[in-house]
Order: sequence, then C-alpha cells, then structure tokens
Amino acid sequence: MSDILKSYPVVALKQVSPVYFRLAFAAPGLARVVKPGQFIHIKVSEGFEPFFRRPFSVYRAHDGIVEIFFEPVGKGSRLLTSKKRGDTLDVLGPLGKPFTPPAAGIKQIVFIGGGIGAAPFMLFSDRIKVHKAEKLLLYGGRSKAHTFSMTDFKKNGVRVLTATDDGSVGVKGRVSELFKEIRLAPATMIYTCGPRPMMAAVQAFAKVHDLRGEASCEEVMACGLGACLGCSIPTVHGYRTVCHDGPVFGLNELVF
Amino acid sequence: MNISVKIGNVVLANPVTVASGTFGHSEEMYQAKEVRCLGAIVPKTVTLHAQQGNPPRRMCEVAAGMINAIGIENPGIDAFIATKLPKLKKIGVPLIVSISAHSAEDFVLMAEKLNVADGVAAVELNLSCPNLQKKVLVAQDAEATAAVIRQVKAVTRYPLIAKLSPNVTSIVDIALAAESSGADALSMVNTFAAMAIDVKKRRSKIGNFTGGLSGPAIRPIAVRMVCETAARVKIPIIGMGGITCTNDALEFLIAGATMVAVGTYNFINPRAPLEILEGIRVYMKENKMTDIRELIGSIQR
Ligand SMILES: Cc1cc2nc3c(=O)[nH]c(=O)nc-3n(C[C@H](O)[C@H](O)[C@H](O)COP(=O)(O)OP(=O)(O)OC[C@H]3O[C@@H](n4cnc5c(N)ncnc54)[C@H](O)[C@@H]3O)c2cc1C
Ligand SMILES: Cc1cc2nc3c(=O)[nH]c(=O)nc-3n(C[C@H](O)[C@H](O)[C@H](O)COP(=O)(O)O)c2cc1C
Ligand code: FES
Repeated sequence: MSDILKSYPVVALKQVSPVYFRLAFAAPGLARVVKPGQFIHIKVSEGFEPFFRRPFSVYRAHDGIVEIFFEPVGKGSRLLTSKKRGDTLDVLGPLGKPFTPPAAGIKQIVFIGGGIGAAPFMLFSDRIKVHKAEKLLLYGGRSKAHTFSMTDFKKNGVRVLTATDDGSVGVKGRVSELFKEIRLAPATMIYTCGPRPMMAAVQAFAKVHDLRGEASCEEVMACGLGACLGCSIPTVHGYRTVCHDGPVFGLNELVF
Repeated sequence: MNISVKIGNVVLANPVTVASGTFGHSEEMYQAKEVRCLGAIVPKTVTLHAQQGNPPRRMCEVAAGMINAIGIENPGIDAFIATKLPKLKKIGVPLIVSISAHSAEDFVLMAEKLNVADGVAAVELNLSCPNLQKKVLVAQDAEATAAVIRQVKAVTRYPLIAKLSPNVTSIVDIALAAESSGADALSMVNTFAAMAIDVKKRRSKIGNFTGGLSGPAIRPIAVRMVCETAARVKIPIIGMGGITCTNDALEFLIAGATMVAVGTYNFINPRAPLEILEGIRVYMKENKMTDIRELIGSIQR
C-alpha cells in the first residue's frame, strides 16, 4: 500500500477551455509506472464532504510530472479547481487494468472519445508515438467549449476528426457520423472511452464489421481497489468491477 | 506494553481488524506488509453457493458515509476454500471467516466444511440474512439468533463470533441470546437499513432500492450500542461503525469493545487500520497504561 498511497505536490492548475482544466503534480514514481487507461483515485477533501475519493484518468505523465484533464461537474471535481501550486494531492494509484498496446501488425488505430472520455488517449498516443499505424481520434463533444486543444494529439501523429452536438466545430451530430473514416479491415484496432450510449454505438459498429477493440468504462467508485465490489457492471462473464477488472474491457465483453 | 486480546481461545497480537466486505479480494493488498501488522483479517462474507450480487448501482455516498447493497457477491464456500483461503493463509495473520446462510442447516453445513479446511482462526456468523420462517432477519429475532448459534456451536471447532444487526429495538436482548446460546464473541454493528433518492429522476440511488448505511454517520449510534451491550455481556465485542481514526477507535474500546474493526473508511484511507494501531499504542503510553485491558471498558459512569 505504501507504494500506491501517497501525497504529491501540485505543480500547476490551468483552465484550458471554458469547461476543462488541467492539473499537474510532481510524482516521479507514478509518472514512470502508470500505463495508458489506468486511473488515480484522489481524496479531494480533507473532511467527509464529499465522502468518496474521485477517479481520474492519467492524461499525461512525463519528466516526473503527472497530469489529469478534468471537467468540474460536481462538488468533488469543483474542489480540484481551487488547487494551487504547492498544495498537496492525496493520491491512490495507479489503479486498474490499462489498454492493451496495439500489436505490431495493426495498420490503423482509432481512438473514439466522447467529451472528457478522450483524456486517456493523450497518454496513450504519447506512449505509442513510434507505432507505424495510421492514428485517428474521432472526437464527440457537446460544443466548441467541450473540445480539447487538439494540437497535442496532432503532435503525436494523430489525425483528429470532430463532431459536436451543436455543430460549432466539425460535423454536426454524434461521433457515429465519423465512423465512415474507420478502415474496415482486421488490421484496425479501436479504443473507446466516453458516455455509455456512445460506447454502445461503437460496440454495435465493431460487431457488424468484425473489428477488434477495447472500451474504458466509468462507474461510481468507493475503494478503487476491487475490495468493496461496489463498482460492478454487467459483462458477458457476469458482474465485473470497473476499478479492478477494468476500467478497460474488451469491447465485446460489455453488456449495454 | 501488552495489546494482545483473546477471542474464545485464540490470542490475537493486537485489537485492530477490518470489517467484512470492506477489505480483500485484491491480492495486491494481501501482499502489503502493512496488512501483516493487523490483529486479524476478515474477508467478505461467504455463502453456501456462489452469489452474483445485486444489479448496479450498488452504492452511493451520503453525508459522512455511504449506502450499499452489494448483495454478498461471493464465489461460494467451496471455491472460497479452494482458491481464496490458501492465499489468505499465506499472509500469516489470523483469519476470521465470515459466513452467512438462509437456514440453520446451511450454516451448519458451511461450518463443517470450514472444520476440515486449514488456517481458520475463528468463524463469524453474518446473521443479517432472511429468516425463512418469518419476515425478519435472523439477527432481528432473538430466538432465531439463538437457534443458529446453538446449532453451529455444536459442530464447529472454532471460536464463534455472532455479527449483530443494529436494525432492532433492543440490541442487548439479541446480544444476550447470542451469549447464552454459546457465542464466543460479538461483532457489532452491521449497516443500518437506509435509502437515498435521486430527486431529479425520483428513483432510489440504489439498484436494490434500499441498502445499508455505514461510515462516520453511524458511529455515535454504534458506540452507544456497544456501550450498552458491553455492560451486560461477558464475551468480548468487536466494535465497528464509522471508525476513521485513533480517536474513533478509542471511543469503542473505552465503551467496552475488546477489538475494533475499520470498515468503510478503508475505502477512503486504506492505511487507517495501521494508523489506528499505532495511535492506540501512543494513547496507552501517554496515559501510562501497560495492558490493553486497562483501556477496554474504562468508561466513567
Ligand atoms: C476510471 C475513470 C476515469 C475517469 N477519468 C476522468 C477524467 O480524466 N476527467 C474527468 O473530468 N472525469 C473523469 N472521470 C469522471 C470523474 O470521476 C467524475 O466526473 C467525478 O467523480 C465527479 O465527481 P464530482 O464530485 O465532481 O461530481 P458529483 O457531485 O459526484 O456529481 C455531480 C454530477 O455529475 C454527475 N457525475 C458523477 N459521476 C460522473 C461521471 N463518472 N461521469 C459523468 N458525470 C458524472 C452526477 O451524476 C451528478 O449529476 C473518470 C471516472 C472514472 C470511473
Ligand atoms: C461495501 C460494504 C460491504 C459490506 N459487506 C459485508 C459483508 O459481506 N458481511 C458483513 O458481515 N458485513 C458487511 N458490511 C458491513 C461492515 O462489515 C460493517 O459492519 C459496517 O459497514 C459498519 O462499519 P463501518 O461504518 O466502519 O463500515 C459491508 C459494508 C460495506 C460498506
Ligand atoms: S470501487 Fe470498490 S470494487 Fe471498485
């Protein structure tokens, strides 16, 4: 436990869009061992309000710095927006099962992210920069405010295609409008993370076209360690914990 | 300084343990050297047959606590003995196995299976299970509680701990029934029946509709129950309910608990049991106590 439960100093908090923040903290050991798709469980308050820790994907990890990318949606994430340089962050992690790295023979890697769900794909694209495959991010957001700064993805050689509900950037509509960009070949690997209806659509598409893929799931968490069995979701194998058996599951294992 | 305690004829190195269902399943945790410092460990309740548990959402947080309805997801006693027990044994900490069943016969069957297993220090009966004859839980009925304990006691080779539910009019009556029918210790308390509602959806926040409240929110009631019970029974009590820190644990010990268990707060601070163990030592030193028995039940009336 001593190696996964630690306090780290905050290095910077930055608001990067009208709705998104980036929080960086110094954690050399964590930065070294964390794998794309894994998450950290943060104790956001000193007291009991809110009571549970809050899970966040690791967005970047380099040079001893770990970053999360988040949207303040409630009391826990809002508390994080008041963090300042020098504050400490009580972190449990890295936790969970990471994405499976794409095999050498893969010709096309498609990340499909909805809203904040695209966060883990930044670390993932950082780590597979040298992979020769064509890389795509199909990104769906509510509006322009909910789109990432896509230059970092582009620097990693990822072509970004965007769909927004209101059409303020990219195609107007759901991320499924962008599925036609996916090469219908077994050498394609899909990785998805986002709202359940979006991932259900990705699963259906992958099934029809016989494509392989993985999906990262969300559920309210208490322990984050597989101890309480509180974050279970239905899978084809029965209930599985998102925190310990996931958050990454085979796309065809999930039951929507 | 002597902080060892006794449950039946089993001596435990210290009075700090963990509450069933709040610890375990992840093997990585078992490896942690911190775990080896505990007085005992209590894995999640096991039933005769495997149970898949309740549909999600299985839990939600509330002010200073949580509500859960996990539904005792577990692999069943045979798989537990075959696959989990060997790993748990390796930790080298006395193991209290929690079991639950729908009838006294099934409790007996499970106790017999544990008799031939190896590496068990004590058996805890989770009595918060339906009583098939009546519309209440076994733990809500003094007679049913006594009947289950008497029958298990007749077959088991281990000290027997009865885990009591707080959802009763008089927990002392149930505790006395457990003691007189042969329980070697009491574990108290389990969760409080509760619910929370999502007002936007006008639905329960819990898939199972209702669940059990745990965490700091229940602590004052749990302390009161332990204090009342300790004054009336002679067998040791494992006190639990919202323990988060040394001070909380001391309340239970002073109220009369022989041991303390950290439950829900393991999810927030997995190091809490260790911090509490150290804190108890410091408190005893500061108060010039050399034996934990000077602390247990030291409440002034
Ligand atoms: C494995 C994992 C990785 C995650 N990674 C990130 C990340 O990188 N960045 C990020 O911003 N968030 C991430 N989340 C979601 C994040 O944990 C939640 O947004 C956060 O816990 C909400 O806490 P809160 O106290 O702010 O909101 P609460 O006060 O708990 O809830 C406020 C509102 O937000 C809604 N809400 C609660 N939980 C979620 C959720 N999981 N998703 C969407 N809405 C929710 C509630 O229904 C409620 O309406 C991740 C979740 C998981 C399980
Ligand atoms: C998620 C969760 C699962 C639990 N599962 C069990 C269980 O399987 N068997 C049992 O006897 N008690 C179970 N309990 C009850 C605890 O062991 C404990 O009695 C109760 O939560 C009060 O202590 P606490 O407030 O410190 O958590 C569970 C509690 C929680 C929160
Ligand atoms: S949060 Fe406890 S098992 Fe996943």
